[in-house]
Amino acid sequence: MSRNASNLVPPAHHASVSTAPGTSGTPHAGRLRRRALPAAVLLLGSLLASCAGGDTETSALSISGSTTVAPVAADAAESLRKQGLEATVATQGGSAGGISQLGAGQIDIAMSSKPLGEEERSAHPDTTFHTTQIGTDAVGVITTREVADAGVDDLTKEQVRDLFEGNITNWSELGGPDLEVFVYDKEPGRGTREALDSYLYEGATPPPPPETDNFAIVGGNLETRSKLKSTPGSVAPLSTGFIEGHDDLVAVTLDGVSPEPGNIASGDYPMTRPLYLITDGRPQGRARDFIDYVLSGTGQEHLTRHGYLTLEELGK
Amino acid sequence: MPTTLRARPPTAPTTPRRPRPPHWVLALALTGAASVVTILLLIGGYLVGGISGGTVDWITLLTSAEWSPAHGSFGALSMIFGTAAVGVLALALAVPVGWAAAIALTEYLPPRLARPLRTCVELLAAVPSIVYGLLGIMVIRPLISSVAHVPGGDSLLAAGIVLAIMIVPTVVAVSVDALSAVPDRYRESGYSLGLTRREVIRSAVLPLARTGMRAAVLLGLARALGEAIAVYLVVGRADGRLPDGIGGLLDALVRPGQTLTTKLAGPEPVLAGTSGPHFAALCGLGVLVLSLVAAATVWSTRVGGRRHEAGKPPTVRSASSLRVQQDRATAVLRLAALALPAVLLFAMLIILLAKGSTAFDPAFWFTPASGSAEGGVRDQILGTVLLMVTTGLIALPLGFGAGVLIGVRASARTARLLQTVTVVVGGTPTILLGLTGFVLLSGALGWGRSWLAGTLVLVPVVVPVVALSTSARVRGMPQELTESAMALGLSRSQYIRSVVIPYSWPATITGLLLGLARAAGETAPLLFTATVFFGAPALPGGVVDSPIQALPTHIFTLSQDSGDPQSMTQAWSSALALVMITAVLLSAAVALRNRREGERWTA
Repeated sequence: MSRNASNLVPPAHHASVSTAPGTSGTPHAGRLRRRALPAAVLLLGSLLASCAGGDTETSALSISGSTTVAPVAADAAESLRKQGLEATVATQGGSAGGISQLGAGQIDIAMSSKPLGEEERSAHPDTTFHTTQIGTDAVGVITTREVADAGVDDLTKEQVRDLFEGNITNWSELGGPDLEVFVYDKEPGRGTREALDSYLYEGATPPPPPETDNFAIVGGNLETRSKLKSTPGSVAPLSTGFIEGHDDLVAVTLDGVSPEPGNIASGDYPMTRPLYLITDGRPQGRARDFIDYVLSGTGQEHLTRHGYLTLEELGK
Repeated sequence: MPTTLRARPPTAPTTPRRPRPPHWVLALALTGAASVVTILLLIGGYLVGGISGGTVDWITLLTSAEWSPAHGSFGALSMIFGTAAVGVLALALAVPVGWAAAIALTEYLPPRLARPLRTCVELLAAVPSIVYGLLGIMVIRPLISSVAHVPGGDSLLAAGIVLAIMIVPTVVAVSVDALSAVPDRYRESGYSLGLTRREVIRSAVLPLARTGMRAAVLLGLARALGEAIAVYLVVGRADGRLPDGIGGLLDALVRPGQTLTTKLAGPEPVLAGTSGPHFAALCGLGVLVLSLVAAATVWSTRVGGRRHEAGKPPTVRSASSLRVQQDRATAVLRLAALALPAVLLFAMLIILLAKGSTAFDPAFWFTPASGSAEGGVRDQILGTVLLMVTTGLIALPLGFGAGVLIGVRASARTARLLQTVTVVVGGTPTILLGLTGFVLLSGALGWGRSWLAGTLVLVPVVVPVVALSTSARVRGMPQELTESAMALGLSRSQYIRSVVIPYSWPATITGLLLGLARAAGETAPLLFTATVFFGAPALPGGVVDSPIQALPTHIFTLSQDSGDPQSMTQAWSSALALVMITAVLLSAAVALRNRREGERWTA
């Protein structure tokens, strides 16, 4: 800013007499100014006054959290807008971010693609988290078409663990092409990451990320997808809903089980995760309207559209 | 008929009613100055409060490279390394080019050519950083990925290059100011001694312009260190590792990493809550960034003001035998350096126009967005305009008041202190403004995301620009005006109202437009306070709980999905719309300046 100022401010010696309206007597302009400035101050005052008395009841329902649930929530919010229910959807910080904001009382509904952890409950003792499952998502081990077509279309749990721990660095070790493996892992706090961790480590603390050159961390689902597409030989955990219609990406089968709806519903596919809407206490008022809509027949169609499983398909 | 004239009785000229003493003047000036101080206190209060809320182990923070909130270890060394690497890279690339281009612009080009180029450079300096980030995603990342074989191309090197491109215009613009302030008589004496152009520049011009050109570097550095979003888009998400030895340094540069600011722009501030060791450690990072940037900014204003020391005995250089050839070679090099920013400007314009051509379709401006990447950006434009209008309304009186107080100098020492505070607030990394707003407004006051929170975090961006340009104008006021006012017996507040304000308001409005042009492109402050992914109505229905959408954050969201061509088209079109809005504000500033002051706005 001082940068701008130093460029743009004329040095003293440039100021000429002709530019001094103060000397040429401008009573008219002066009078105008005399009215304009208090008017601006008044306006500012009323603005601040109105914010002090802001009525929170008339504002929109605020929803925040997981980028996995966000498309569904955004669709539901769009449908409900026609019925007069205003809702806003934000995604700063993923599932954990949403839960943390709900605990801090900043939002009405948190979206989460992971079950609520004990630490999260104990971090917010004043909040009675109430979770409502709205569907299920399968997390796939996603790789590129090039790798899958060359023979890597099924992996065992040990192979997946070796991949993500950096022990396998070339796809030829798994019977694939002579191509270096590049691992994209999700950043901590993301639901996808926790699904992978609980599959690989079953509750034990996962080891720190490997110190190899072929490892990077990504954030949201869209970002993961574009990184996968642009990196040959890459592999990442990603919601299978996000690769529908993207033929250059493939979800490999795990121990021979593919992430098909039947396998997810029966529990045979190992990496599934429930999708939740979380409220502070039992949902009431508009939050209840919103969740009821998502659970209804038309609401559940949004899940199908984004590649997730509905509660009905799960047999619930 | 002279007799008739003489017959008219002499009467006093009709004077307008003598105005009442304007009490509001002093109040306005004091409120303005108080607002600037308050902003700094709020940011400081948030950081200090956060640090004292948990315990920060400063020694670990500064010396350990392990950052893992889950295990309670907070060592920021790899972020510090990232910041240093990115800063040094940006300077190493931008400073030689920037200096050479500035010299070419002032010393080699004819004024007819130099003037429009200089304006172009200044316009380039005002391009929103999110646009540079997009450029990084589209051009720099693939380049690094193919040259250094880094998948994705996310790396410290990419961040350094993006920042270098971003700060070249700043370095050029400020250096040009310093060079053109050197009086021509020095050059004339040099030439009359038979020196070549290169020798004149080296021995007569540069010694006088040196301090100003150093200030240009420091300002560029401050901008590079404080930038969060453009870096965030190209630097990757991993914390990065420290290089092992000198050999590992190059390797570390082409790997993803984090800087202090990108750590703050990531998801961690939301996860950390508002107390505890994690929050305290993040506040510690904030303190580091703020002190680094503030030191660079304040230092740059100080070196600019110091006189050139004349005591040093001149070193005698013997004339080289290839003087003329050397002179020609230098001229070619410098002009080539100037061509670089020019080529960059055109390349950027071409990419913007080619990729974002949808923005020329009026429907793009007037239809709302639909789905994730379809439709237009009506709501985003309305949101940005709403933010600009409210920010302008609040920042104008505050900045004006502060500027008048600094300019009229209640006392020299207060004025200097206020000036420094204003400069520091102006240089504050905007991500810190966003986090302060997030913690104070969302956390402490319980607001949701709201347009008003967005306005309040943008006000500190605009106020210092208004204040500094007003105060500089006031200081440039001819002494006679003040003397006449005092001789007429005007009180201090009457003097301010009737002399200072009428004289300085064009500069104030120019400052306001420039500040708004910068605020319009700000992404980082809005991410945490004002905008949402979906569902904000075109115009907010409430105040403290009504989020909006804005162009910069829209571009930021879209650019996350860089693999989807539809998203990228939409992102570029939105970027073009944003650049157009900024350009309108800047052109208005230029036009106003030219009209009101009868001279070029760049002085």
